[in-house]
Amino acid sequence: MASTEELVEAYAEWRTRSNANPRLTKMLKGWDRVIHFTTTDTAQGYTMRVEGQQLSELAVGHEGQPDVVVTGSSEDFCDMYWGDLNPSEKYMSGEITLAGSQQDVMRIDAISMVAFLDT
Amino acid sequence: MTDATIASRATLRRALGLRTVVTTSTGLAFAALEYLAAAGLVAYVSGDSAFIPIIVAGILALVAYGFFGELNGMFPTAAAIRLYMKRSMDDRAALVITFTYMTTIILVIASDAFIVGSALAHAFGEPAWVASLWIIGLLAVAVVTNLRGISVAGLLQDVATSVVVLATLAIGVLALVRSGHGLHTPFQPLHGHGPGDLFEAVALGVFLYSAFEWVTTSAEEVRKPESISRGMLIAVGILCVVCSVAAVAMSHTLTHNELTSAYPQLYLGIAAIGHSGLWVMAGVTAVTALNTFNGGFITASRFIYGTAREGSLPRQLAHLNDRAVPWVPVVTLGALSAIVALLVALTHAWQVLVATGAALEAMIYGVAGFCALRLRKRQPDTPRPFRVRGLSVLGPIGVVLFGLLAVTASVSVQTRFNPAPLIIILVVGALSAFYVLRVLPGIREREAARRAARPRRRPGR
Repeated sequence: MASTEELVEAYAEWRTRSNANPRLTKMLKGWDRVIHFTTTDTAQGYTMRVEGQQLSELAVGHEGQPDVVVTGSSEDFCDMYWGDLNPSEKYMSGEITLAGSQQDVMRIDAISMVAFLDT
Repeated sequence: MTDATIASRATLRRALGLRTVVTTSTGLAFAALEYLAAAGLVAYVSGDSAFIPIIVAGILALVAYGFFGELNGMFPTAAAIRLYMKRSMDDRAALVITFTYMTTIILVIASDAFIVGSALAHAFGEPAWVASLWIIGLLAVAVVTNLRGISVAGLLQDVATSVVVLATLAIGVLALVRSGHGLHTPFQPLHGHGPGDLFEAVALGVFLYSAFEWVTTSAEEVRKPESISRGMLIAVGILCVVCSVAAVAMSHTLTHNELTSAYPQLYLGIAAIGHSGLWVMAGVTAVTALNTFNGGFITASRFIYGTAREGSLPRQLAHLNDRAVPWVPVVTLGALSAIVALLVALTHAWQVLVATGAALEAMIYGVAGFCALRLRKRQPDTPRPFRVRGLSVLGPIGVVLFGLLAVTASVSVQTRFNPAPLIIILVVGALSAFYVLRVLPGIREREAARRAARPRRRPGR
């Protein structure tokens, strides 16, 4: 299980990469969203906001009304933020689940894919 | 899905309610092809008894609803079809079936483009070849709007489907009333026809409901998980009533040539309210394209994208444009649909399209029954918010019946023996099997090697 500190550190790395990626920031134009992450193994909640084409810092706990809710293990989230995991594989196998519109779900996956140039 | 995710849906800022689930499910089923399927069904039964096979097909659709309801309850996600098929059977078989089934989406998009194009050309009094320009134009607009990430909002979906359903119902009733005489042999479908014809009519009737289950891909967007099951049930009821009225009205008021044309609904409109009825139904036909193109392109492109990201399709199919749209699948779908639509326009073989779609849909309903049965044994403890009563009996009956319907629909076009639909399905199935068995292993090997060569970024791992 990944601790909150590990997750926050991993997310910070993901955030830096994403915010510095011009293609990704262009993709997030007009897409201000609140995303909740929920870990199934540690029962923790985290909040990420996308505002003005930039990812915010990761807040511990669920804040605000979400547009998307992502649920998975803390290990999977940590690996995803480091770019060591393809979230789509976990999604297609049911290990990561989502709630939200299909278009928003696509953007979440796009962030992880484009940020690590996995295309 | 975990309790956490289910509970959090209630807090989503944007979520679909039951009304939009109903209109989405109904709208996905009610493509322009619906009118041709209803008109085609009329040929297999006597007089004005077309509502009988439609009701029988509606009962079978309820069986399919049960299968999809249970499966969707177990896997309330847009990736459900991959999940329940992978867990029910060998993944290679699951992929072959899934890819073959995806052909249905291309057929529906192509047929809608063809029917709308032909209907508009006829309405404007243009020569038949102009329909090809309409087809290309419509698909080009659909591709461009999808590439720009423009999709139909829930409210517009509600309005569009309501317009289509209510207008069709009204036109059907008016046509019947205006005809001035009673129904011919409304309760004798077999008069002058054999049981095989009735069975074929039921197979086409099942096609009238097909694609209602595609709303399960919206499972992640609904406020309450049970909305999907309830919405599908209501949609089946609506489709039964509207299609019955439309089919009986067509059988009662249209000539043989009008019934076998590419736009029988236009003639139904004329029969109902005169020449203005042609424009009403031309407009309604165009509105059906809104639902079909929106739903079809989004469902198929996202599925292809997800399958490519999973590693079961080439990575190039997961490329996104600057609006986060998987542009390669969208363009490919548009191109393939255009080719099929133009081929149909050239050969006038739209009834082959209808029969092929009917066979594919019956096949997938049978597969859904098989999956529901297998998962009862393999995953007995997985929560099932929706549980089919008597699945041990209904399941095998459904599998056999849908299998027989699929075979029947695949070898009959317009009451004549015609193996063209079967040949199409077998060719597509063979291509899918070739890809899964011969090409995919190499793709997966290369992807595994690529990932193994990339160092892990996470510290300490």
